[in-house]
Amino acid sequence: MSTQAVTQQPRTGAATRVRTDAHASRLALRIGFVALAVLFAVMTVLPLLVLIKVSFSAPQDIMTARPPFLLYNATLDHWRAILNADTVLGPARHSLVVATGTALFAVLIAAPAAYVISRMSRGWRYGLILALLFTQMFPDVGIAMPVAITFLRLGLNDTDLGLILAHLVPTLPFVAWILVGTFETIPREIEEASFVDGNGKIGTLARVVVPLAAPGIAVAALFAWLKSWNDLVYAIYLFLGERTLPLMTFYYSNRGSVFDTATFAVLLTIPVMLVTLALQRYVEAGTLSGAIKG
Amino acid sequence: MVARSGHFLRRYWLEALMILPLTLYIGLLTLVPVLQAVGLSFTDRYTGAFPSLSNYQYIVSRPDFGEAFINTIGITLMSVTMEMTVGLVLALMLARQFRGRGVFRTIILTPMGVPTLVAGAAMLYFFRTNGYVNEALLRLGLIGLPVYWMESGLRGMFAVALADMWKVTPIVVLLLLAGLEAIPGDVYEAADVDGASRWDAFRSITLPLMMPAITMALIVRAIDAFRIFDVVMVMASRSIPVMSTFVYINYFDFQDPYSASAAATILLLMIVAFIAVYFLLVERRRGELA
Repeated sequence: MSTQAVTQQPRTGAATRVRTDAHASRLALRIGFVALAVLFAVMTVLPLLVLIKVSFSAPQDIMTARPPFLLYNATLDHWRAILNADTVLGPARHSLVVATGTALFAVLIAAPAAYVISRMSRGWRYGLILALLFTQMFPDVGIAMPVAITFLRLGLNDTDLGLILAHLVPTLPFVAWILVGTFETIPREIEEASFVDGNGKIGTLARVVVPLAAPGIAVAALFAWLKSWNDLVYAIYLFLGERTLPLMTFYYSNRGSVFDTATFAVLLTIPVMLVTLALQRYVEAGTLSGAIKG
Repeated sequence: MVARSGHFLRRYWLEALMILPLTLYIGLLTLVPVLQAVGLSFTDRYTGAFPSLSNYQYIVSRPDFGEAFINTIGITLMSVTMEMTVGLVLALMLARQFRGRGVFRTIILTPMGVPTLVAGAAMLYFFRTNGYVNEALLRLGLIGLPVYWMESGLRGMFAVALADMWKVTPIVVLLLLAGLEAIPGDVYEAADVDGASRWDAFRSITLPLMMPAITMALIVRAIDAFRIFDVVMVMASRSIPVMSTFVYINYFDFQDPYSASAAATILLLMIVAFIAVYFLLVERRRGELA
């Protein structure tokens, strides 16, 4: 907006402009700003409102050539059907176990390595971070296929462990990257002081570094959890009989069942929404990048 | 040499041990699968001959591959252009102080808390033939008959790109905002003293100083857009093929891992080519400016 509004100003830039003129243009700017803000806010919220609306709509509101914009015939049928049936419990359990396992393992594997990288010289550090980001370039579908073939041989398809191992592929580089940033902020002097106090390397790590890095580790774990919870690519390759919540949503949309898709989509979103809202104040700065897309 | 590396290990054994699991994991479960896929793509499916281009010749001759290739590029162009434009505008808005900024920020960032495939599912209700976009256009009298959106081509690309854009614009906003907030305020004061208009200041100060953030956002987003999968699977799993869904469909529906890995390799090359071209262009322009 401000780019648009700014262009409307005369480009003289001179201080000789008539006062009332400046006042009027400032008012116009302000109105334009508010209008644009409202427009963006509405566009952002609309798709979610529509999903929620569909999940509560009676068929005659949706399955018609000219669907009304507002909710006229509300029903709880879709929610009741999904929550009553066993359809939701199995997938929800898989999603929960896999996401939690992924977050746990991601931190266990990435945190030690991230700590070591954070203590390397500048050149090495940048090189290794770039290498980590480079792995994000590989198409998931290309990685998931050989992994699925290997896991089939190992009997890991349709198991929570198999999916956790697969979800670590896109998660680890990202978690390691966040954690390198976290460990970098811990001053080495504190560690040296701990050495002087007679703590060994491991003692220093356990008693000094890990407690100081705890908030960053928690944020990284939550991101890993979200990435796993949202994943469709690896689940679609590895879960052939079993299902996760994203897979359920996909199968319903693929089958063209209008209401179940919306209801499952809302169900899938609720936990993510809560986690993200909790996370929002931590993501203020440049702590993250597109890799959080999930 | 042996003595020195022994010394190195004795001194840094803990560090080596700490970095080992991650290295092994990325090696075994990222690099090896990628190499397997690339290797398979160059293996002839009948004779097992290696290297062979037969898989590439086969998929290039198929019309659905051409569609997937063009759709992927089209969706990436549309989505990245739209989200960078809107993202920049939103970042500039959020960089200012105004009443309700906190609420506005929270609303704008909500799509971050929505799974990607849910973004696709939501857009389904907008772009169905009896969806809300058609309904709105009909009520406004802009169209006489409902438009069929979910087809391969510009309309389908637009619908998918819009879903993708909705989901990821918050991330672009955050990245650009970080770049914007890193610009020191006294640069603007200097420009003010020099009598520069706000547009001039934006063009010659804000934009150049934001270039690192813009580059970062653009590359991160383009990589993701090239790999787009979830949104397309949910919105139009078969009617609008893209590279990623082409890989999936060949592997699962046609039981053809050879074509699938050839397409995955081409997708990887597309991403690498994009990044190379971007850096060449940007670097060259920077060189000219300097």
